[in-house]
Amino acid sequence: MAVKALQAVSQGRNGVGAFILQCKRIDLHYCDWAGSSKGMNGFIKSLFPKFAAAHPQIEFTVSPRPAKHPVAIGHYINGRSKPICVRNMEPYEILKKLELLRDASGEKLKKVTKPVRSVNESVRGIWSPYHGNGMPL
Amino acid sequence: MSRTLLRSLLELRAAAPARPSALRPALTTTATTRSLHQTPSQIDPLPQTQSSAALPPSPPKPSPTSIPRCGGAPRTTSPATPETLQLLPLLALQPGNKYLQLYIQGQSYLVTPGDQIRLPFKMPGVVPGDVLRLNRAVAIGSRDFTLKGSPYVDETLFECRAVVEGTEAEPMRLKIKKKQRCRRTKTVRSKHKYTVLRVSEVKILAPGQEGQQ
Repeated sequence: MAVKALQAVSQGRNGVGAFILQCKRIDLHYCDWAGSSKGMNGFIKSLFPKFAAAHPQIEFTVSPRPAKHPVAIGHYINGRSKPICVRNMEPYEILKKLELLRDASGEKLKKVTKPVRSVNESVRGIWSPYHGNGMPL
Repeated sequence: MSRTLLRSLLELRAAAPARPSALRPALTTTATTRSLHQTPSQIDPLPQTQSSAALPPSPPKPSPTSIPRCGGAPRTTSPATPETLQLLPLLALQPGNKYLQLYIQGQSYLVTPGDQIRLPFKMPGVVPGDVLRLNRAVAIGSRDFTLKGSPYVDETLFECRAVVEGTEAEPMRLKIKKKQRCRRTKTVRSKHKYTVLRVSEVKILAPGQEGQQ
């Protein structure tokens, strides 16, 4: 009898081989006129260059968005994006939000009850009543 | 990326035999500049269960040696006895994945290589891409063999590395508190953060041969 391979789709497991940061792009929008953008303007001038240099794997774009609140949008490898409005925030608060964007995967927020997620089959195998020593009565 | 590579290299170089005096809860990292919040976890000594007749006998549990700790219940790591070291290559050479029952901050997780662990807390001082070496295991198992520590397995017998994938959040939870015949309601909003780890490798370091994955 010929040995046939099992057909299976490959499951990506980030970190097992190489680790790839899920956040690929962060857009920062600021406004020169709006008062709510004061923190964002200060952040772009002071803390942002160091943060951007520390993350060469993320593409950063900084562009004005006149007469609107400042916003930071994170784009992820799974195609989703996370906008965070940073109106009336101080530069260090905006840095924390950028760190949140960097740490996130793009997945939707979900309540997870089981801590371990695995695609491996069980190590011991599935119990069968026909194998092993049987059930002594 | 270079910083994470450097740190994993440092971490690999710093992989030394277990020193009984330097006992730490679940995690070991190379981060000398960052300080992890390490709460001593209270773990009751596990019941000594007998192996069932159906399975081949597990390697015998060696006698525990107590290591002095400040505060908390005394926690012991059993050093490997000659009987354990004799049977460990059999465990390592079995085909298939090996599982590890780890303890991280007092919580147990049963993992195989490639699993994703969602910790019930946000780990401070870690960045996505950091490699952690988890050294607190209660059991290592393969298809037919189990190595149980009393209560922990000797650290020098296995290597388990996990990569920090990132920090996830739960959806916003609203708790609305309202009493009868009182119109005022109080709303409490919670949105907790959880660190996600990916177990990149589970290696058994059997003496006298290459570590088997």
